[in-house]
Amino acid sequence: MSVVGLLFLLMGAMAVGSALLVVTTARLVHSALWLVVTLGALAGCYLLLGAEFVAWVQILIYVGAVVVLLLFALMLTRAPTGVQTGLTTGNRVVAAATAGVVGLVLVTVVVAGFGGARVSVDEESVGSATSMGDAIFRHWVLPFEVLSVLLLAALVGAIVLSRGRASSGEETP
Amino acid sequence: MSTEPFLVLSALLFTIGAFGVLIRRNAIVVFMCVELMLNAANLAFVTFARHHGNLDGQIAAFFVMVVAAAEVVVGLAIIVTIFRTRRSASVDDASLLKY
Amino acid sequence: MIAVHGSVLAQEIEIESPNIAYSAIYPILIVFGVALVGVLVEAFAPRPRRYVVQTVLAAAGLGLAFVGTVLVAGDLPETQNGLARGGIEAEGALAVDGPTLFIWGAILLLSFFSVLLFAERRLESGVTAFAGQAAALPGTEAEREASTRGLEHTEVFPLMLFAVGGMMLFPASNDLLTMFVALEVLSFPLYLLCGLARRRRLLSQEAAVKYFLLGAFASGFFLYGIALVYGYAGTVTLAGIDGAITNRVGGDGLLLAGIGLMAVGLLFKIGAAPFHAWTPDVYQGAPTAVTGFMAACTKVAAFGALLRVFYVAFGGAQWNWMPMMWIVAALTMGVGCVLTLTQTDVKRMLAYSSIAHAGFLLTGFVGVQAATRDSDDMTSLVAVMFYLLAYGFTTLGAFAVVTVVRDSSGEATHLSRWAGLGKQSPVLAGVFALFMLAFLGLPATSGFMAKWAVFTSAWAGDAQLLVIIAVLASVITAFVYIRVIVLMFFADPVGEGPTVAMPSVLTVVTIAAGVVVTVALGVAPQPVLDLAHQAGEFVR
Repeated sequence: MSVVGLLFLLMGAMAVGSALLVVTTARLVHSALWLVVTLGALAGCYLLLGAEFVAWVQILIYVGAVVVLLLFALMLTRAPTGVQTGLTTGNRVVAAATAGVVGLVLVTVVVAGFGGARVSVDEESVGSATSMGDAIFRHWVLPFEVLSVLLLAALVGAIVLSRGRASSGEETP
Repeated sequence: MSTEPFLVLSALLFTIGAFGVLIRRNAIVVFMCVELMLNAANLAFVTFARHHGNLDGQIAAFFVMVVAAAEVVVGLAIIVTIFRTRRSASVDDASLLKY
Repeated sequence: MIAVHGSVLAQEIEIESPNIAYSAIYPILIVFGVALVGVLVEAFAPRPRRYVVQTVLAAAGLGLAFVGTVLVAGDLPETQNGLARGGIEAEGALAVDGPTLFIWGAILLLSFFSVLLFAERRLESGVTAFAGQAAALPGTEAEREASTRGLEHTEVFPLMLFAVGGMMLFPASNDLLTMFVALEVLSFPLYLLCGLARRRRLLSQEAAVKYFLLGAFASGFFLYGIALVYGYAGTVTLAGIDGAITNRVGGDGLLLAGIGLMAVGLLFKIGAAPFHAWTPDVYQGAPTAVTGFMAACTKVAAFGALLRVFYVAFGGAQWNWMPMMWIVAALTMGVGCVLTLTQTDVKRMLAYSSIAHAGFLLTGFVGVQAATRDSDDMTSLVAVMFYLLAYGFTTLGAFAVVTVVRDSSGEATHLSRWAGLGKQSPVLAGVFALFMLAFLGLPATSGFMAKWAVFTSAWAGDAQLLVIIAVLASVITAFVYIRVIVLMFFADPVGEGPTVAMPSVLTVVTIAAGVVVTVALGVAPQPVLDLAHQAGEFVR
């Protein structure tokens, strides 16, 4: 087995194991921490696939920003750090059965997807920042600009929901 | 090494995420499970980009990350707001919240 | 790596500037531009002026964008086969064609009247129906202070405009990635707006949480579907996917799973069964103006996108997805009409009725698909577009009526409170009865023409069984609508009975627009049907 294969096995096992822990752990804060491991392992997978830019953005945005925000939210909602009961709903069995079927179908679909056609991942990468930037600002420029509008809308909305009484300037929270 | 194992990993993560959304009660953890699903989709995008030898999939993954960043802002604002309201004394309406 | 980057920087990088035809897409840019100006107004205008400035700005922007849409429609280029008019713009991101412009027109008109509902101030004695200060906890000193100072969130106008921009982008997207971004642009502001009700705040916030979590879950499915379709076709453009299906590139499992997962995301937005669970709770909890806006405009945008994706990209595989859509349509009508029967809250009843209408629209969606040259057949595209316009105005009007019927705690949404409304205010009850009859599909209302159009196209498209189910469903829901009318006119009021607050001219105009369109499309539908015919097919 190649080096890439070994690395993939490592990353894949880490990703699946930590994802299962995100879903099942009885401590809320641990969920967020295990999510970091999953996201990091996925960044590794992106590197193996040659998507250099996406891998670093994954680390920056997801691990750096999203998970930190999630931890803040857990803190603000006073999530207890200890073991808790009653975190899962009663329909465990049904959910597990549904998820099992969906997973089986998806795995079959992606394995059968190309009828055994194989593309090696051991070659040179294409996803450098240069090529990505070139594609984004030429071909994908409209959706990219719309994304900036999306970020602004999210920002405005979040401020509306959470801003205290500092609005007219005479009082601060 | 072929691209198939990456796709299997992606399908597994998607399934785990969906399972989590169905069973977890805490809104923030449910949201984390949605993030898992988005990440599974990203892995599929990047893998297919490799398979087809074009950049579209990687661009998609990048865009999804930006969307996810905005989503976390919106989601946490809503969740934290309702947490503050529910903790306050005024519970004047019946709860229709499932989670 | 550093070395690589260094060498790249050293080179002369030449980036071709993208080719954007602003003359074709400026209605969208106007809407986003006005939204941005609105954000600046929030930052710089003095508080007392903001309400007027924002209202005028939003209404004027939407009006201007509508005029722009009409002008763009005036000089659409013909395509080679003569069935479609328009072109692919913005580096392949948007398809500006006849159906797109019809849908833009519908969304802009409906959102113009929604702005008027948003701006209604007289019903809450001088402030809008949105929370004075969303961060202040209900029932606390801070909230009382906010309401005595007459605080209000005028940010709702830019937020709404962002949503409108997303709604315009969604059905015009010519690739799946733009479509995903558009879906999120239209959704996020709506999630936030849902939680901003002035009265019954907890219910409103629970609606927002529920809508957000389920919406994010559904968009996860939509996204994974896009990934699988991309894996199948190797491209995300609709034309490219169509080409891959026509050339049978292999890997049908990927395609089918992708179509299925994408359908989940789209059907969720439409509110079709079995993905409808959010609809009643969110419609009930959200501020009524927002509910009206969502019910009318989101449905138009989401159906536009559904039509484009399934006709343009997946048209070649229609024998694969048609059975699924049949089942969904039948199930949606069934769930919608049976559960409408059991509702006791006006807003929930209208929500279930919107689910039933989604089923009727889906019936049209599986009808005759393609137009042929020189034919006056009712294509499903024409039928669905007509239905969307007719239903949008009726439902917006109905929710506008709901804002007016009040008691001491705000809107009196429980149906029992509506007993005897006909004696209290015959005009208002008559208007609501008209809307009910339009939902029911009585002749001489827009609902009849819309249902006729949809059923004709479905019947001609060999979906006779579905048409029969749809007619049966209409008969069952007729019971509900007639029960409401009987309740309003012939039942005795309970206790003091409902109060009809006198709204300002804004709400009156919205209700009047609903009435006018409902009657006009019922009596003389031909001009609008012709317009929908002229729009032609989607460009590919």
